[in-house]
Amino acid sequence: MTDIDGSQQAVVLERNFDAPVDLVWKMWTEPDHFKAWYGPTGARITVAEFDVRVGGTRQVCMEMDTPNGNMQMWFIGEHREVVPAKRLVYTESMSDADGNIMSPADMGMPEGHPETTEVIVQLEDVGGKTRMVMTHVGIPADSGGATGWAMAFDKLADHLESI
Amino acid sequence: MILTTEEERLSETFAALANPTRRAILARLAEGEANVSQLAEPFDMTFPAISRHLRVLNRAGLVTQGRQAQYRPCKINAAPLEEISVWTEQYRSIWEASFDRMDDYIQQIQNNQKDENADD
Repeated sequence: MTDIDGSQQAVVLERNFDAPVDLVWKMWTEPDHFKAWYGPTGARITVAEFDVRVGGTRQVCMEMDTPNGNMQMWFIGEHREVVPAKRLVYTESMSDADGNIMSPADMGMPEGHPETTEVIVQLEDVGGKTRMVMTHVGIPADSGGATGWAMAFDKLADHLESI
Repeated sequence: MILTTEEERLSETFAALANPTRRAILARLAEGEANVSQLAEPFDMTFPAISRHLRVLNRAGLVTQGRQAQYRPCKINAAPLEEISVWTEQYRSIWEASFDRMDDYIQQIQNNQKDENADD
């Protein structure tokens, strides 16, 4: 339950489930199962579309009731490794409803929030039960063109440091 | 479902940020204080509409507004943003809660399967 190392921003969680690996695999790869558990408390997963093969996309829409009304958040990603009942690796980025990636700055996040994160799910059969290790790691953004938005939020980041 | 205060606060921050006009207002305020008419300038929007956005940002604690009667300058407050910037901590608690639900859901599925088998 610790980070891989201090310098890399990652969440690593280990869980044991009293269920066969095949069923736990379905929790991640079948939309109806995924919708039943995924997301922050109070959120509903209204869309989950998975093309579970290497290079195939993953699109998720999360809805939340907030004091300011209903809020939707879209995520888009790509499957990078698919080894049934053993290992699933996919990327995830915030996006609009059409699957266009939006930078964390566009979403109002200050610097430090990676644009794309990677989720690695490792499953292991332990006598008919399942040991699952989930790693969620930030991928350093590529040096793509800075938008006006990114620049505006650089100022915000500077401002944060100055407080 | 009961949300903790911290989760409620995060939801409110995210809700406030889930709007392009409000993000633009924050970006403008990151450059320095501004009053409502200065904030309204780049937008094709009425004062009341901008004021409504400011109220949302205000409730989320992202913007404070001065009390000088005429000028009422708005100022950014970055504390809620710092909270969501620590993304790993935020995701850790979300994943923990999600896996709790996955565990419950898996047990439910397996119980249903057992019931079905018992019916045979």
